[in-house]
This record gives sequence, structure tokens and C-alpha cells, in this order.
Amino acid sequence: MTGRGMTGPSMTGPNMTGVMARARDVLGSEWTKFCSVRSTFWTLLVAVLTPVGLSAVIAAALASSPGQGADQGDALLPGLLSMEYAVLAVGVLGVLAFSTEYSTGLIRTTFAAVPRRRAVLAAKAAVIGVATLIAGEVVAFISFALVQAVLAGHHSSVSLSRPGVPGAVLADGLLLFVVAMMGVGLGAIVRHTAGGIAALVGLIFLPSAAGVLPAPWGSRIGQFTMLDAARQVTALRPDANLFAPAWSLLVLLAWPAATLLAAAAVITRRDA
Amino acid sequence: MIEVDHLVKRFGRVTAVDGLTFTVRPGHVTGFLGPNGAGKTTTMRVILGLDVPTSGHAMVNRQSYPDLVRPLHQVGALLDASALHPGRTAQAHLTSLARSNGIGRRRVAEMLQLTGLEPVAGRRLKGFSLGMKQRLGIAAALLGDPPVLMLDEPVNGLDTEGIAWIRQFLKALAADGRTVLVSSHLMSEMAQTADRLIVIGRGRLIADTTTAELIQSSQRQDVLLRTPRAAEMASLLAVRGAAVSREEDGALAVTGLDAPAIGDLAAEHGIAVHALIPRAASLEEAYLDLTGDAADFRTAAS
Repeated sequence: MTGRGMTGPSMTGPNMTGVMARARDVLGSEWTKFCSVRSTFWTLLVAVLTPVGLSAVIAAALASSPGQGADQGDALLPGLLSMEYAVLAVGVLGVLAFSTEYSTGLIRTTFAAVPRRRAVLAAKAAVIGVATLIAGEVVAFISFALVQAVLAGHHSSVSLSRPGVPGAVLADGLLLFVVAMMGVGLGAIVRHTAGGIAALVGLIFLPSAAGVLPAPWGSRIGQFTMLDAARQVTALRPDANLFAPAWSLLVLLAWPAATLLAAAAVITRRDA
Repeated sequence: MIEVDHLVKRFGRVTAVDGLTFTVRPGHVTGFLGPNGAGKTTTMRVILGLDVPTSGHAMVNRQSYPDLVRPLHQVGALLDASALHPGRTAQAHLTSLARSNGIGRRRVAEMLQLTGLEPVAGRRLKGFSLGMKQRLGIAAALLGDPPVLMLDEPVNGLDTEGIAWIRQFLKALAADGRTVLVSSHLMSEMAQTADRLIVIGRGRLIADTTTAELIQSSQRQDVLLRTPRAAEMASLLAVRGAAVSREEDGALAVTGLDAPAIGDLAAEHGIAVHALIPRAASLEEAYLDLTGDAADFRTAAS
């Protein structure tokens, strides 16, 4: 044992540089974890390939369906519909961030190394958030280009320069981030992979059951659901019965924000 | 240094730790002993800030664990060697831990080398044997070069070679001036590693002593006497104030007189002695005496 004093970094006081250094430490640690398991690669691959492939297929189906070919109002729909499948993959990615650590017991090693548990939550959310945000936007714009190429032959494509289109495509790309963040929060709350995924699917789809309520209640309650909010922010012609797109964007972001806040509340209160 | 002060931890109706107080000092390997379910792991979790105590507290280097800045530089712990992500490599596992406390890559490489894991550093952990995982756990515990080390049942499930390796390792760490706390439910294992012992049962302190003292304080110190005239000898010993009990094979177990006195007594009366063996209780027996005594948990030698 001759290792004494070899590690270099000295302890800094509780000043700003110390806080920054610790934030960098935890982020670096979580980034290493994120990059060093295969599930990251596979879930992101599914999240990228599914919407790109699916959107082109949906666009082709839309274009060839009689009577609809010329409607530009649906030009952004394939992007959204295909993204709704991809969110499940990144949702799983988010849930796994905590659930695998809890199920293997690794979480104790993590929390012993970083006793500030909310810093761990924030770092995991940041790493996965950046990855899914980039992946989502890349996918959204590739899908958009593919879909418009397919629809162009049927004179129903829209251009990115048309007002409202860039915002809608950006919002489409945001969906992966939104659901991944909910996954991170639910993984920390539920602490089991299967339970976390079930909770995630439940929170996304169950509230949409409100849609079967008689008008106007269907849309009054429905506008608070993630699915309706997502449709509203990515639509070329927003539904007048629902919140305006700007408010729908807030609804959409409120879901992961609430989930992460709930996770932050319970993560420090429970024994690891 | 680890200080545990009037620590109580309840899980619902179950009291896992019941008013435990002890101090672990540097320079020794301190064994943390107790039967399964005695509260050893819970105590260690509280020390690491993983479980919140119901009352009382635990301090490491005079600080509460959650207040430690970059705690891996203060305490190295190995709770469960199998608590790993099976898909990650040994190198990535250690690197992620190291980065969380600002420890560089060089130190990771050094620890892999020290624990003999260098050749398998790039392999995924699902292929690791328990012995390899234990080594990895020790490499992780040593990453921050901490003055305090805490290991929960580190030799459980290891082969003889692995046990010898860990034993020698822990002794070297203590000789280096570190505080080393090692839990086990097997006294035989601690007898060869620890020079200080903290024995607990049902969450309470039973003994806080040195290994040598524990053997000495045991009541099971007697002399085995084999003689053809056992009955006669027994009454003679009784007259001298010794307590005599008969073993199953007819030998006498004598307490209260030492072997030379018993031999002299036999010679005085011309009684042949076939065997005269002073018996010290093994550490294992001393331990069983302590922990097996459910009626009196306060035999504390502290």
C-alpha cells in the first residue's frame, strides 16, 4: 500500500469553484455510466430508426389514400405518429438509469460516492436529457425531410420556410426528451424496471381515456394529457378546442417536471 | 476513525440496531462480529449515510457521512461485491466511480494492477467470478486512498486463495495506519485477521475487546484429566475447591486448579495420570458463549 497522496485532487471549500467541480465530477461519472452499457446504444438506435423509417411509411400510406392526397394539413402528422412509437424506447432508457442501479444494489455504491442524491438525479437527467434532445431533433428533421420528399410527389408537402413549420418540427423532436425525463423520474420513484416502464406507459396513455368523455369534457380534460398536448404543439393547424400551442408546450413540459420533482422529493427520504 | 453513538435503527416493528455505541480506531483490523441478522450490515449502511438512523448517530473522521466532500477520499466501503451492472466493464465501473470524486484515470489503472484485475479490465462484469468481483470491490474501496475502510463479509464465498489474499491485504492496510472495519459472522475467520473485535447480537453490543482478551475472558478454560481412578480423583479435586465435570468418554474436565496443581495432587496420592491437558476455549467457543447466551446480552467486556 503505497498509494497515499497519489490521487492529486485536493478538497476545495464550499465555494463556487467547489460546487462547479463537484457538478462536473457527477456529470462525468454519469456520462461514463451512460456510455458504458449496451442498452444505451440499443434504445437510442431504436429511438432513431423507428421514427425515421415509420414516418416515411406513414407518409406513403397517407399519400396513396384516396381523397387525402392534396391535404397539406396532414403533412406533419407522419412525423408525430412515428415519434409516438420512439418515445417508448427512450422512456425505457430513462427508467433504466435508476432501476438497474436499484435492482443490482449499485445505487448504494453510487450514493456512498455521492451522498447528495439529488445531484445524482440531476446528473442522470442532464446526461440523458442532452442525448435524447439531440437524438430527437435530428430524428425530427430527418423524418420531416423524408416525409416531405414522399408527399412532394403528391403535391401535399410543406416547406420548412412556411410559418409554424419549424416550430412544429422542433416540438416533435422535443418529445423524446420529454418522455426520457419522465422515465428518469419514474425509475427513481418506482425503483424497478418493469414497474417503472408500466408507470410510464400508464401516465402517457391512461389519461387519454378522457377522450371518450362527451363533448366538451373530452377536450377540456384531454388538453392536459401528454398525447393531446403533443398533437397540439406539432400540428400545422392546431385544434381550436384545445389549449393554444404555447400553453400545450407548457403542459407537455409540466409532466416530466412534476415527475422529476417528485423523484427529488422521495430520493432523499428513503433508505437506499 | 469511526464513531457510532447510541445508534438505533428500526424498520417498522423490527429493531435492527438497538442502542449501539462503539469506536473503531486506526492502526488495527477491527472485526465486526455477530450472527446473521445481528445488525452489522444495517450499522454499516447507517455509517455510510445510506440508511437514516431512527436515533443516535454515526461519524466518520468526526464528520457525518452526508457532509463529507468527495467521500471516497475519506471512506472506502465494500458492502456487496455483486452490486454491479453486469453489462459494464471493470474499467468503466471503476472509472465512473473515480470520476464522481475527481479521481484520475491513473489511479484507476493502479488499482486494477494492485488487485490483479488488469488482464480482465476490459471484460464485462457478468463474466466475473465472485472472487474477481470481491477484488473489484476492494479496488473501488481503495480508489480515493481513504484512511478508513469498511468491508461487509468480504470473504463470503471466496476460495482459500482469495481468503488468504484479502486477509493479508487488510493487515497491510491497518499496518499502514488506516482504520479497517471488517464484518463477519464467522469467528474462525476473524481470529486470523482481526486484532480487535466488536461483537454484537440482536442489535446490541456484546463485547468491545481485543481478540486475545476475548479468549482469556472466556469461562471455558479448563484442564482435561484422564486417569483410571477418576471417581477417587474427582472427590480429591472437589476437596481442593476445584469444579469437576465428567466428559462423555469418562475424562474429567477440571476448572479452578491448573495443570501442575492437579498433577501434584495425583502424585501425592499415587494416582496414575494418563493425560493432563490444559484447554483454552477457542475463539469460536468464546464467541458462541457470548452470542449464544440469549438470556444475558450484557456480558460486555467493555
